[in-house]
Amino acid sequence: MAQALTQTIYRDPALFYWILFPITVVMILTGILRHYGTVLLQAAPKKEDIKGRRETRSLLRGITLRNNAPVLSRSSFQARKNYIIPAYQSGQFLKDPDAKGQPPPNPMTDPAGMEQMMGMMKGNMATMIPQTLIMSWINSFFSGFIIMKLPFPLTIRFKSMLQSGVATRDLDVRWVSSLSWYFLNLFGLQSIFTFILGNDNAANQMAAQMAQMNPGAGAGGLFAPGQDPDKMFQNEAENLEVLEHWTVLDGVEERLLDDLDIV
Amino acid sequence: MTSSLLHPPAHLPPSVALHLSQQAPLLLQNHSTSKLPISIPFLSTSETPETWAILENLLLSCLRTGDDKSARLCVEKLTERFGEENDRVMGLQGLFEEAVAENDADLEELMAEYDAILKENPTNMPIAKRRIALLRSTGKLEEATVALVAFLDSSPTDAEAWAELADLYLSQGLFSQTIYCLEEVLLIVPNAWNIHARLGEVIYMSAQVSGESGIEKLLVDSIRRFCRSIELCDDYLRGFYGLKLTTGRLLSLLPQNFKPASTVINPAAGEPAPPTLAYVQRLNEIATAKLAEIVRRSNAGEKGWDGYEQAEIIAARALLDKDVAKVEK
Repeated sequence: MAQALTQTIYRDPALFYWILFPITVVMILTGILRHYGTVLLQAAPKKEDIKGRRETRSLLRGITLRNNAPVLSRSSFQARKNYIIPAYQSGQFLKDPDAKGQPPPNPMTDPAGMEQMMGMMKGNMATMIPQTLIMSWINSFFSGFIIMKLPFPLTIRFKSMLQSGVATRDLDVRWVSSLSWYFLNLFGLQSIFTFILGNDNAANQMAAQMAQMNPGAGAGGLFAPGQDPDKMFQNEAENLEVLEHWTVLDGVEERLLDDLDIV
Repeated sequence: MTSSLLHPPAHLPPSVALHLSQQAPLLLQNHSTSKLPISIPFLSTSETPETWAILENLLLSCLRTGDDKSARLCVEKLTERFGEENDRVMGLQGLFEEAVAENDADLEELMAEYDAILKENPTNMPIAKRRIALLRSTGKLEEATVALVAFLDSSPTDAEAWAELADLYLSQGLFSQTIYCLEEVLLIVPNAWNIHARLGEVIYMSAQVSGESGIEKLLVDSIRRFCRSIELCDDYLRGFYGLKLTTGRLLSLLPQNFKPASTVINPAAGEPAPPTLAYVQRLNEIATAKLAEIVRRSNAGEKGWDGYEQAEIIAARALLDKDVAKVEK
């Protein structure tokens, strides 16, 4: 049985001090550096100008009107509708009313879009460059070393995970190569970073990759870039037009009396 | 006590505000900021959003009670943390400067400063609001109204500003504008029972000055608003007070053999039919009973019934007494 035989490899204890330990320390330090680098690279959130704010909030007003219409009496609702729908349709709240009807700007040439993409680029670079550097550093200095033995047995499947860079078929899975130690660190240091840097750190590159998968999830905002605000206003006008209004004030006195009589 | 510092102290009774601001020196002393250039969580004391909320509320309490020294410390700490350029800090600084200003010349100077800031950055909402508040407090109601309308044009989802505009209009006696503004507030916070009651009050006031023709409809509207506010908040004193007042007025207007007036309100316009006389009477009875209960229990200091404001209790009692006097006559 393979398990019965215990492979013994005599390792120089210096391997521990000069490979395992340095890799770990370097990984932690890069994580911290990356965190502060990202913080520094982050552009300050762009101030919205007053016109843009007016546009967003005017649309928001329409949406709240639609959602909370029941608090109004019929005549008040009608009055608001009479004001807001024509204003929406004529594009009165648009940032620049002249641009109404024109196709939305190309996101590649739109300066706002460019800025966003620059931000993403910076983030990517902050992850990519250190990763490449360290990987090549480890590869050129420490490749092919067996540096530690796990205290528990594992199945053969873990071989590729724990022994990358050591092409030996018969070696027990419990032995870990230096390159694998790097990968283990890369993915496993999250909790240490959380301890050192707090909860929302930018040190871990897994989180960064996750964010790349679905951009815009955290971005928020009513208008995604490239969307035509005029279209949204038209849509909202239509929504308001077809809204069937009811009011919460209908029969409120009956409800109240029923309520109070029971008590 | 810290927990009550977490809530905005706008409606604290004076004694509580005084108590809070007396703790200021102690709190401020404990409140040491870290001197590290960058924050490293496990080396520096943790700061939470609450820390700064407390500081801000402390500032307001101190200003109310005239403890300008502690207030200055609060402002300084906030400035140190968030920087001179932060909109909110700028607003608080302005508030502080307004509070310690000694004469009109100082205020004029502040006004010019606000104008300069807004010229440079028109999106600075706290400063825009301070400017409007300053206009109002120096008695320039019209200018304040114009400025507030312009503000709301660019930011129509701001409930606070709508409420302020309603108040401004009301102080100038413009009821329909006030009603419009309060309805806007309700659109943003649909379940605010105090705003429902306030709207009821304003409609009642406008009913008082309107001619004979529309008064019944207005009273019915007002009754409905009060009903809604009670529906949202049980034992709401202002709601019951208003309900009693409005139903009483409506009953005094209507002849006893009054039919649910289809003549007053045109059903074709889609307005809900007015409540029948029986309903109005019943509402009046319930409101009276409830008011009496609230006054009695609050005066007895029963547990859970002691949160009412003293002035409101006295007013409710006065209303009840007036009723009793009328019956005796």
